[in-house]
Amino acid sequence: MRFVVRRLGFFVLTLWAAVTLNFLIPRLMPGNAAIAMMSRYKGHIQPQALHAIEVAFGVNTHESLVHAYFTYLGNIARLRFGISLTFFPDQVTHQVLQALPWTLALVGITTILAFVLGTFIGLISGWRRGGMLDGTLPPLFVITSAFPYFWIGLLAIWLFSIKLGWLPESGGYDVQTNVAWSWSFVSDALTHAVLPAFTILITAIGGWILTMRNNMISVLAEDYVRMARAKGLSSWRIMWTYAGRNAILPNLAGFAMSLGFVVSGAILVEYVFNYPGVGWMFLQSVENQDYALMQALFLLLTVAVLVAILAADGATAVLDPRTRDRS
Amino acid sequence: MKRALFFFALIVAGAAVWTGFGSADSTAVKSSKATTSVTISNEQGTTWTCGFNPFNGNVNALSVGPVYEVLTFENGLKSGATTNWLASGYKWSNNSKTLTFTIRSGVKWTDGKPFSADDVIFTYNLLKKNPGLDLNADWAVLKSVTKNGNKVVFNFKTSAAPYFYYIGAQTPIVAKHIWSSIKNPVTYKDTHPVGTGPFKMSSCSPQVIKYGKNSGYWQKGYPKIDTIYYPAFTSNDPANQQLASGKAQWGSQFIPNINAYYSSKSKDNHYWFPPLVNVDIFFNLKNPILSNVAVRRAIAYAVDRGKVSRIGEYGYEPPSNQTGIVTPTFSSWLDKGLASKVTYDPKKAMSILQQAGFKKKGDLFYTKNGKPLSFTIMNIGGYSDWVASVQVIQQQLKAIGIKITPENLSGTTYDNNAYTGKFQLMYNGNESGGPAPYYELRQLLYSKNSAPIGKIASSNWERYYNKSVDRLIEAYAATTDPAKQHDIIRKLEEHMVNDVPVVPVTEGVDWYQYNTKNISGWVTQGNPYAKPAAYEIPDWGIMAMHLHAK
Repeated sequence: MRFVVRRLGFFVLTLWAAVTLNFLIPRLMPGNAAIAMMSRYKGHIQPQALHAIEVAFGVNTHESLVHAYFTYLGNIARLRFGISLTFFPDQVTHQVLQALPWTLALVGITTILAFVLGTFIGLISGWRRGGMLDGTLPPLFVITSAFPYFWIGLLAIWLFSIKLGWLPESGGYDVQTNVAWSWSFVSDALTHAVLPAFTILITAIGGWILTMRNNMISVLAEDYVRMARAKGLSSWRIMWTYAGRNAILPNLAGFAMSLGFVVSGAILVEYVFNYPGVGWMFLQSVENQDYALMQALFLLLTVAVLVAILAADGATAVLDPRTRDRS
Repeated sequence: MKRALFFFALIVAGAAVWTGFGSADSTAVKSSKATTSVTISNEQGTTWTCGFNPFNGNVNALSVGPVYEVLTFENGLKSGATTNWLASGYKWSNNSKTLTFTIRSGVKWTDGKPFSADDVIFTYNLLKKNPGLDLNADWAVLKSVTKNGNKVVFNFKTSAAPYFYYIGAQTPIVAKHIWSSIKNPVTYKDTHPVGTGPFKMSSCSPQVIKYGKNSGYWQKGYPKIDTIYYPAFTSNDPANQQLASGKAQWGSQFIPNINAYYSSKSKDNHYWFPPLVNVDIFFNLKNPILSNVAVRRAIAYAVDRGKVSRIGEYGYEPPSNQTGIVTPTFSSWLDKGLASKVTYDPKKAMSILQQAGFKKKGDLFYTKNGKPLSFTIMNIGGYSDWVASVQVIQQQLKAIGIKITPENLSGTTYDNNAYTGKFQLMYNGNESGGPAPYYELRQLLYSKNSAPIGKIASSNWERYYNKSVDRLIEAYAATTDPAKQHDIIRKLEEHMVNDVPVVPVTEGVDWYQYNTKNISGWVTQGNPYAKPAAYEIPDWGIMAMHLHAK
C-alpha cells in the first residue's frame, strides 16, 4: 500500500512541476504570434495585415503573468486548451484529436512491434550465443539503427516508391480517396503506412535487441540459472521463466518511456513522409509561438510519459517481487 | 559476414513481397478518373484547418479567388491592368478622393441567392466594425462607403489612387445574408464558404481540400475543369516529388536544380518564375557608420548581382538593379540610364570609401575614429538560397575591405528583429510588393511605414526618412494619370540610386511549375494573364478557371 501511495505522490508532484514549466518556458521566447504568422507567409500578405492579425489574435493584451498562470491552471483542470493560433481559429483540442490517431496507430504499433520483436530476437540470440541467429540479426539491426533516420527514410522512398513504384511516397492516404470507414480507404491508409512503419521498425529495433541480448547473457551467468539446470528443468522453462523474466526487467522502464513518447509523434518520420501526425504539429506550434497548442501537446506528452512510468513500476512490481514492500 | 549478407537479402526480399501486396491495393483506388482534375503542390508547412474565412490571414489564400471574388481584377504581371469582375465598372473623381463602383447584376451566390450592392456595402462595413478582419487596412484611408442604386461610393480621407488595389482588387466580398448573423466574424471558421466564384469547396480534411465546379457561375462557359485537389504538404521534398512524378500538375514550389529534378522527367513539365519584388541588403540607417551614404554606395558597387543570382539562386531569381524596378515585369517603368549608373565595379567601391575619408589598414577599411567596417548581416537560416547568396556577397565585400558576418536566424526571430530594427545589415525579400513598382517602393521608402528602433515598423525596416521622397509618394496617390505616375517613379528611382537606402541584389519570383500532359490554359511567359503561384490571391482562382482539358 505504501508503495502505491508513494508512487502516486511522486506522480502528482512531477505533474505539477511539468505543468508549471510548460506554462513558463514558451513565454520566455522572444517575439509574438502575430509576427510569427507574418513570417510564415514570406510576404504573401500585405505588411498592413500585422495590425489586423494582432487584433484577431489578441496579442499585446498585457495580462499579468500570475493572472495568466491561474487562468491556465483552471483551464487545464477543465481540459480547455483554447484556440490554436497556428490553425486559427480552430480549437486546440479539435486539431490534436485529428492528428493523434495517425500518430498512435503508426508510431504506437511500430514501437510495440519493435519492442516485442527486438526482445524476442535478443532473448533467443542471448540464449544461443554464437548461433546462426546471434551471428546475423543483432549485428544487422545494430547497423540499421546506427543510420540517421531521415537517411533511411529517403533511401526507402527512393527505392520503393520512385525506382520500383510499389508504394506511395508521402501522406497518410491518397488525396483522391474519400475519407470514410470503407475498405478502400483503410487499405489505402495501410499502404501509406507501410514505408514509414518499416523504416521506424528497422531503426528502432537494434537497441532492444542489444540490451535484451546483453541482459540475457549476464542473467545466464547467475547462480539460480545454474541451479535450475542442476534441477534438470527443461531448457525451454529456464529460458523463459528463469532467464527471460529477469532479463526483461531493465528493458521494461525503457519501453514504458518510449510508449509515453509515442504521443509526441516522430518529427523526422512525419517530415520525410509528410505524415499527418502530432510530431510535425509540435514543431509548428513552437515555430509559430502558439502557446495554446504547445501547452496542450506538452501536457499530453508529460502525462503520457508519467502514466507509462507508473504502469511500468506496476509491471516491475508484478514481475519482480524484490521491488515490492516488505510489509 | 556471408551469413549477414544472406539475411540482408532475405529481409529486402521479404520487404519487397510484403510491400508488393500494398501497391496492388493502391492502384485499385486510383482507377476512376472520368472527370478533369488538377492537383496543386504547394508546401504550406501545416495541415488544413478546413476553415475558409476570407479575412483570416491564415487561410484566406484558400478561398479568395476560387470561392470568394473581388470587385476588380488587377494583373500584377501587366503593371496592374484591370479587368472588371464583381463590379462592371469604376470611376475616380474628386481628385482621387472618391471611387465609384458599378455593381454587376446577374451574379448569384452559390446558395442561389442573388448578389447585390448591399453585399458590397455590408462587407466594407464589416471590416470597419472588426479591425481584426481588415487585412489590407482599408479603413486606414477610407472615410465612408455608401450606396447609390447599383453603385457603391467609396470616400477617402486623402487622395488614394493606389489604394484601388487593396479596396477593389484584394478585398473579397462576402454574402450579407450569411455574415450578418455571425456573432464573432474574427473567430468564425467558415467551414462551408458561400461565394460567387468559379469553384465551390466540396470537401475538406486536414490532408486535402477538394474544390468542385460552380455550375451556376456568372461567367458563362467557366470554369472548364471539374475538380481541384489541394493536398496539404508539411515539407518540401514530398511536394516536389509529386510534381516530378506528374501526380500534381500545378506547383508553387522551390525545387533545387529544377532542370535535372523536374524538367528532365517529362517533356510536359515546364516552369516559369516571373520576378515580382527585390531581395535587398537592408542597412540599419540608425547605425552611425551605415548612415554614411558612402558606405552604402560602396556596397552597391561591390556586389556582383549576376554572380549572386547564378551561385546563390541557381539563376532562378534574376539579378536586380539599384533603381528598385523589377525587370522584366515592370520594364516600362525603368530609367535605363539610371540603372546602368551602378554596376559591379570593386575599384570604384574602394575609391568611394577612400574619398569619404575611410582608411585601409591591412584587409579592412576603418573610420576616422578607428572603427572597422565590420558588420553582422541578419538572414533566415531556413532559406538555403539566401544563405548561399549572402556567402557570395560576403566574398565580394571582403574583396573591397568590408567584413560582414552572417547571422542565420529562425524566421520568427528574424522578423521580430527586422520589425523592431535590431540588426546592422539584413538580407530580406519579404516586401509584398503590388501590381506596379510604386507599391514596393512605398513599402521600402515611405516614412509612415517606419518606426523608431524598438517599435514595430510595418515595411520600412531600414528606417529611411526623407521628406521629398514622402512628398513624391503622396503625390502619386493623388494622380491616376499614367504619365505623371511614370514621372514620379523615375524620381523615386533617382533617390534609390543616389541615397542607396537599400541595395537590391536579386529579384524574388513567383514559384510556378506546370504540367501540360492533360491540361492546358496555363499562364505562360507569353500569356501572363494572372500571377501563377497557387498562393497568389485572387489570381490563382482566375488561373484555375481558365484551365481546361487538352
